[in-house]
Amino acid sequence: MVPAAVVQQSEIDAKVREVEEALKPDVRHIRYEIGEDWSGQWAIFFRIVMSDEAAKLRLREVATNVVWRLGERLDFTSLGVFPYHNFRSESEQAILREEAWA
Amino acid sequence: MAFADDLLKDAHHLAARGGNNPKQSSLRRAVSTAYYALFHLLIADFTANWGVIGERSRLGRMFEHRKMSSAVLKLQDKNNPTLVEIELKKIVSAFTQLQEDRYKADYDVGWIWSRTDVNNTLAIADEAFKTWRSIRKEKPVQHHLMSMFGARH
Repeated sequence: MVPAAVVQQSEIDAKVREVEEALKPDVRHIRYEIGEDWSGQWAIFFRIVMSDEAAKLRLREVATNVVWRLGERLDFTSLGVFPYHNFRSESEQAILREEAWA
Repeated sequence: MAFADDLLKDAHHLAARGGNNPKQSSLRRAVSTAYYALFHLLIADFTANWGVIGERSRLGRMFEHRKMSSAVLKLQDKNNPTLVEIELKKIVSAFTQLQEDRYKADYDVGWIWSRTDVNNTLAIADEAFKTWRSIRKEKPVQHHLMSMFGARH
């Protein structure tokens, strides 16, 4: 069965943008996709690009804050997905230039 | 717990290899090893309860990755979790994140790891080790460990 998250993407987009704004300049942007995890469970995969300074000096502080704020605004249980979070710095993304993270 | 601690140290060692230009192979092994460190930490604690020391490794091999992450965390009062339950929830989230990361590291060759992401993964594992050791003897924690083994509620 398709989770509620699939049909509520505009609401999710809005909440994600709120978190982005709240955490600037440490967080440059947040991208996400909904799909199945390794075990076949529905999940939402967040890709977070951080400033170089945040990644180098305050990685855990900022990462924990991102995870907490997303969880505060999005009810993952109701959305039927488990959240996963991955991070990279701005300069790493500038080198790797992956569209999914841009 | 020496084996789990050694694995976690290995993960850090692998992540630090290559200076500013790490190989994907080192980063991938670091992520995978961090997951297995936590996996073996939990298993070692579970099997330590088994009286026949020589059979503990066999018991440990009965753990399944999928069952461990899909075990449902039962809170006494979901609107008012205890401090131990809050900490346990963090470990469950850390384990699930590390498990997905490990899958990507071992099987998804299209996924490119960055040093930042790997450092974050290792920090999650470090925190999970520390938290686990502070609450491991608590009743709800042992109960959830039994659920991770596959026991029904």
